[in-house]
Amino acid sequence: MDRRLILAPLISLGVLSIIPPLLGFNNYYLLLASLILLYTTMVSAWNIIGGFAGQVDLAAGAYHGIGIFVTGLLFIFYRVTPLIGIFLGGAVASLLAVAIGYPTFRFGLREVWYALSSLALVVILYKLFLVWESVGGTIERYLPKVGFSWFYLTFPGNYLYYYLMSALLLAATIAINIRIRYSRLGYYLLAIRENEEAAEMLGIDVRRYKLYALIIYSFIVGLTGGIFVLMLGYVHPVLFDSWISIQTAILGIVGGLGSIAGGPIIAVILLAVAEYLRVRFGGYIPGLHQILFAIILMLIVLFKPGGIGEWLDSLWHRITARRRMEVA
Amino acid sequence: MLSPTLLLQNLIFGVLLGSIYALAAIGLSLIFGVVNLTNFAHGDFIMLAMYISYFLGVSLKLDPILTPIIGFPAFFLLGVAVYLAIFHKIIRAPPLSQIAVTVGLLVLLRNFALAVWHAEPKSIPRTLLGYSYRLGPLLIPADRLTGMLISIATFLILHLFLTKTKTGIAMRALADDLDSAALMGVNVRNLNMLTCALGIGIVALAGGILLTFQPVNPMTGLIYGLLTWSVVAMAGLGGVSGILLSGIIFGIADAFTAAFWDPRAREITIYILFILLLWFRPKGLFGRR
Repeated sequence: MDRRLILAPLISLGVLSIIPPLLGFNNYYLLLASLILLYTTMVSAWNIIGGFAGQVDLAAGAYHGIGIFVTGLLFIFYRVTPLIGIFLGGAVASLLAVAIGYPTFRFGLREVWYALSSLALVVILYKLFLVWESVGGTIERYLPKVGFSWFYLTFPGNYLYYYLMSALLLAATIAINIRIRYSRLGYYLLAIRENEEAAEMLGIDVRRYKLYALIIYSFIVGLTGGIFVLMLGYVHPVLFDSWISIQTAILGIVGGLGSIAGGPIIAVILLAVAEYLRVRFGGYIPGLHQILFAIILMLIVLFKPGGIGEWLDSLWHRITARRRMEVA
Repeated sequence: MLSPTLLLQNLIFGVLLGSIYALAAIGLSLIFGVVNLTNFAHGDFIMLAMYISYFLGVSLKLDPILTPIIGFPAFFLLGVAVYLAIFHKIIRAPPLSQIAVTVGLLVLLRNFALAVWHAEPKSIPRTLLGYSYRLGPLLIPADRLTGMLISIATFLILHLFLTKTKTGIAMRALADDLDSAALMGVNVRNLNMLTCALGIGIVALAGGILLTFQPVNPMTGLIYGLLTWSVVAMAGLGGVSGILLSGIIFGIADAFTAAFWDPRAREITIYILFILLLWFRPKGLFGRR
């Protein structure tokens, strides 16, 4: 067993557990922090399909929305506990990913066409749920009011629990990233990213492994939707949000393709800054945080295509090299 | 419900609408085909063109159909500026970098519009063409008919330009084989710049026409972006007539969905058609490659 597999999630959990006391257990800040962790989880999950496998996936908003709707509607219509609902949401998101991903990879959609069709999926689902009145429609559907309940994962007015759930999910996603990175699947995916034809010639079943990456990614993003809807308290088709797709991909690319630490670190920082900008200037310049994301993305891609991850790597190498020299 | 008149009426609506969609997509096709650049922000240029038409319409009391007189040269220059500032740096970059940079541009344009014009949909106060011709039981809206005529005229001019002039032939050569074209003495840099300027300039035409019958908001860009990419995917690369035909097919799909299912479901039909097309006909219906 790899030492990193235990260590990295524990360290990130440790760091994340300092945050609530720092915020003075203020509910509003905890809500924001939970949201940031959920978005960061998406970035970390995106690293599997976008970073390792090199597919510019823009469907995060779709899988996130599926998680929201499955968890939310099961709770609203049938009183199914979110303890189960969240995982069913992830499973349905994965099923959808397979249904779309299998033919997509089978017919060799790549690059721009893959990105476009995955972005189209978000808009299709948004409009579909808007038109499909019996489950979606234009009116919000609220989750039932059940009071404080562990069974229904409902904690009115106390976001600490959601924060902890999000932190656990993020740590688990980082662990999954590490597990994949140093497994056969990870090496296959990296080979596919670098040169798909060459990988195929070496006997890698390209379609199958891309599909595996897509399944894992969509499942995790589905889970984030399940936690998200518990905090939000209602479902509405507008939650199939193309900005979530774009934000996830931007942060994943800025963090560095395939870098396990880069994505989450830059996501937490930039999302916190974005939240500050939104609160501070949102009144008169509503999209300032998005403008910031766009400019950073363009600068990184044009001048430092390796992203933050590259810089982190070289820093890490320098530290370990010095230590090795001291030992010698 | 499915009377022949209604079918014919929506067919007419679809053809009118589709030829305008084709006009919106031809710039994307030129830039994608000739410059070999993946531009995710094309829809947001359309959105910007609609806002500029709105701005000119309100401030100069100009009819939106006339706004391209100012809009076309302005967007032509915008094309040059965007080429020099951004596109020129990513032409030889891998697809992922092109996607990432133009997605950044998309977000910039969208939020620029949001900051300047806010989120509420804007439409023009009035147009001279707000009436319809009657053809027996059928209605032909004048604004869309004018749009179709402008679109067809543009396609004709573009076709003549690409087949008869030296610059146009050089552009097609560039689309076919960049290295050979460069060896034959084609100035690749200038030609790329001209293509981007032309491609984005034509967007101003489409923007003015679209605004006569559709409101604009900052999210419009995403919808038109995916729509124009769908048109390009169906047309495939090579020849301008393919774009016109596939635009019309999408226009008909659009009009029929709005009439017989739900106006909000238009994107569902169009994008599902788009995805199916990518799966089964990745070369497009009318393309050479």
